[in-house]
Amino acid sequence: MDDRSKPQSVLRHLNQEKIVFILTIVLFILFSIILPNFLAANNILSLIRSVAVLGILGLGMLIVVLGRGIDLSLVATMAISVAWSLQLMSNGMSVASAMTVGLAFAVGMSLITGVLIAYAEIPSLFATLAMATFVYGFGRAHLITGTDVVYLPPNIGWLAQLGQGHVAGIPMPIIVAAGLALIVFLFLRYTKPGRFIYAMGDNFFTARTGGVPVRPILVMQYVLAGGIAFIAGIVTSTSAQAMNTRVVNSNMIYDVILVVVLGGVGLSGGRGNVRNVIVGTLLIGVLMNGMTIMDIQYTVQNVIKSLILLLAIVVDSILNPRDEQTGQQGDI
Amino acid sequence: MMRPIVEMKNVTKEFHGVAALRDVSFDLAPGEVHALLGENGAGKSTLTKIMAGVYEVTAGQLVIDGEPQSFKTPAEALQKGIAMVFQETSLVPSLTVAQNLYLGNEKFLNRLRGIYISAQQFLQSLNFGVDPTMFVSQLGAAQKQMVEIARAVHHKAKVIIFDEPTATLTPEEKHHFFALIRRLKKDGVSIIFISHALEEALAISDRITVLRDGQHVITDLAKNFDRDKIINAMVGRALSGELYGKDARKRTPRPYGQKILSVQNLSMGRMVRNTSFSVYSGQITGIFGLIGSGRTETAKIISGVVKRDFFHGGEVKLEGRSVRYRVPRKAVKDGIVYVTEDRKIEGFFETKSIAENIYLNLLSADLNKTGVVVSYSEMMDLAREWTGKLNVKAINSDARVVELSGGNQQKVVIARALVQKPKLVIFDEPTRGVDVGAIAELHQVINSLADAGLAVVVISSYLPEVMNLADRVLVSRQGRVVEEFAMEEATEEKIMYAAVH
Repeated sequence: MDDRSKPQSVLRHLNQEKIVFILTIVLFILFSIILPNFLAANNILSLIRSVAVLGILGLGMLIVVLGRGIDLSLVATMAISVAWSLQLMSNGMSVASAMTVGLAFAVGMSLITGVLIAYAEIPSLFATLAMATFVYGFGRAHLITGTDVVYLPPNIGWLAQLGQGHVAGIPMPIIVAAGLALIVFLFLRYTKPGRFIYAMGDNFFTARTGGVPVRPILVMQYVLAGGIAFIAGIVTSTSAQAMNTRVVNSNMIYDVILVVVLGGVGLSGGRGNVRNVIVGTLLIGVLMNGMTIMDIQYTVQNVIKSLILLLAIVVDSILNPRDEQTGQQGDI
Repeated sequence: MMRPIVEMKNVTKEFHGVAALRDVSFDLAPGEVHALLGENGAGKSTLTKIMAGVYEVTAGQLVIDGEPQSFKTPAEALQKGIAMVFQETSLVPSLTVAQNLYLGNEKFLNRLRGIYISAQQFLQSLNFGVDPTMFVSQLGAAQKQMVEIARAVHHKAKVIIFDEPTATLTPEEKHHFFALIRRLKKDGVSIIFISHALEEALAISDRITVLRDGQHVITDLAKNFDRDKIINAMVGRALSGELYGKDARKRTPRPYGQKILSVQNLSMGRMVRNTSFSVYSGQITGIFGLIGSGRTETAKIISGVVKRDFFHGGEVKLEGRSVRYRVPRKAVKDGIVYVTEDRKIEGFFETKSIAENIYLNLLSADLNKTGVVVSYSEMMDLAREWTGKLNVKAINSDARVVELSGGNQQKVVIARALVQKPKLVIFDEPTRGVDVGAIAELHQVINSLADAGLAVVVISSYLPEVMNLADRVLVSRQGRVVEEFAMEEATEEKIMYAAVH
C-alpha cells in the first residue's frame, strides 16, 4: 500500500480545503491583475464585510452539520427575530429589553426545533424546513405588522456600531465574525460538548452506547445555531439600516450551506472545523466581489458559484478516493 | 444411484486468507431433502451461498447437472434452477406480493391487474393463502416465507435452499411449511434445509450432512442418525484444540461474589420472552445460545441501548435497585457497559484516532479530570496507558481505528469500555472477526477483569469459548435463559442439548 501512495504523496496531501484555499489565492491574484480597483484597501475590506454575515451563519451551520444534521431555519430565525426586535424598539421598548426578547425568540424557536429532532426523532431536514416556514409565517402574520422591511429605529444608539462602526479601520462586522469564529473554534476543540458533537457526527450509535448525552447535545446544537443566527441578524440589519424579512425567500440559506460544504465540511458529519468555513467564505467573497466589479449578472454568478462547488467536490473525490481496504465492511 | 443435481468437489472458500470452508464435498440427488447441520460459523451458509451464486469458490469445483459451473451472480444460479430462500427475507416491503413475485420479469409496461390475476392463480396452485394485492410489509413472517418460496417455485427452481426457514415460524406455520416441502419433493424439487432444530431435520430430511469448523464431518441417511449422534458430530472438535487447550477443563471456577444484576421476567417483542437470571461479581457468566436466541437483545435492554417496555418488560435490578434505562448514558453512569458484537456499526469512531476514541468514552462517563474542558495531554496519557495494557499494535497513536486489524480494533473497543470503570461488563461475541493470536490476548483480558472483582458477562455462539472462559454457563433458547450449568457439570454435549430444541 505504501508503494502505491508514494508517487502521489504530494497530491495526497491535497484535500478539498486546500484545493479551495489555493483556488481562492489564484482567483485573488488573477483579479488583482486584471481588475484595476480590486486590490484597493477599501475594496478588500468591503469584500470581507460583504461575506461576514455569510460566514457567521456558516459557523452556526457548521455546529449543526458536524453532528450530521442540517438547519434550514437559520435565515428565517435570523430575519424574524431581529425584525421583531427592531419593531419593538420603534414601538418604544428599550434597546436592552427588545434585544432580549428577540434573542429569546430565536433561542426559543431553535429549542423547539432541537426538541423535535432529539426527542421526537424527526429528521433534521424536515424539522428545520417546517420550522423555517413556521417562523417566517408566524412572524410576518403576528409579530411584524406593516411592511416586510423593518428599518432601524432612531433610538437604537450604540448597537448600530455593530454594523457600521470601525475598530482601527476594520469594519465591525469583520471583527464580530472573527470573534465568533474564535469562540466556535475553542468550543469545538476544547470543550466536552464540542468533542461530543464530532463523536455524534462520526457515529451516532457508538456515541449513544458510550454514554454521550446525545439528546441534550442535539438540542444544544440547534440552540447555539439559533443564537448565532440572531447575532448575524443584528450585524445584517445595523449595517444595512434595515432588516428585510424577504431574505427568507431568497436562496441565502443555500449560500450558507455552500460556504460550509465548499470549505470541506462533510455533510455526513464528523469532518470539518472552523477553518473550513473561513476558507469557503473567503472563496465566495473573492468570487462575488470580482464578479460584481466585472459586472457579471447575478444569475450567471450563481452558475459560476455552483460550478466551483462541483469542481471542488469532484477534485476531492478523485484525490481522496474511498480506500478499498478501510472502506470495506467485511465479508464474513 | 442417480446423477446428483448439485455436486461440490473438494470446495475451499477463503475470506481474506481465512478459510470458511476447507475441502468440502457435497452432493444433492434430484427430489431429495438434504439437511445441513452444524454450529454457527460451521460453514453451512457459505456452502449454500456458493451454490446460489453469492460467493465464488477459492478452490474446488461446483458441478450442476453434470456440468462444471462457476456462478458470478445469484441471477446466473437462478437461471440454472437454483434458488435460495434467505434467512433475512429479500422481498421488497413496499411492493405487493404479486409485484414481488414478478420482480425483474415485468414487461416495459406493467399491468398490475394482469399480474394480480396470474399471481392469484399461481399462489392457489401452490395452496398458499396469501392475498397477492397485499403489501409485503403487512405480511407475517410465515407468509413472507411463502412468498419467497413461491418466487423460487415460480422461477422453476430445481433446487431450493432454505436457510433457517423455521426460526421465525409458529408451530402451526411450521406444520404448513413441512407440508409444502413434502409437496415440492413430490414434484421432483431438490431441497437443502439448513436448521438448528435437530428434530425437524430428523423428521423431514432424507439425508443429513454435518459440518464443523468449515469441514465436512459426516453425510448419511437420516434414518441412521439420532439426536446424540448428530450432536456428537456437531461438537466433536479437533481443530480448535491448540487454542482451547485441555487444561481449560482443569481450572477451578471462581466463587460467586456479590449479586450485581438480577433480571426477572424480562420481555421484549418476540426476541426476549420472560427471561430471568442473575449475574455475580468476581466471575464470568457465559451466555451460550444459537443466533436468534435473544442474547444480544437481552444485553441491550440491560445496558439501556434498547428501551425496556414499561408495563410488560419485566424487571432489571442492579445491586438490588430496580432500574429502567431509556438511554445508555444512565447505565454507563451506573457502571454497566455493553461491548457490542458489531464494532463497525456501533463500536468506534472511524475518523478518529485511537487516543480520541478511548478518551471520548472517558469524557462521556464524566470521569475526566478537567471538567467541561478537554485535555489533550490527559488524552495522550490515557491512550498510552491502555494501548500498553491491552497491547494494541498500531503504526502510531494517530492511526485511525478503521486502519487497524480486527483484533486491534476489538482491543480499542474494549479499552473504550474499560475506561468507564464499570461494575458490570457485557461482552457480546468478543472474539468475532478476530485473529487467533488476538483471541488468546482478549481471553486473558476478560479473565483478568473477573479476577479483579468485576461482574463479567460473555455472550458467545462458540462453545469452546464459553467452556474456556465461563465460571457458570447460562443457555439461552428462543428468547429466554433455559438452563444454567456450573462449570463442574457442564459439558459441550449438555450445553448443546439445551441450546437446540
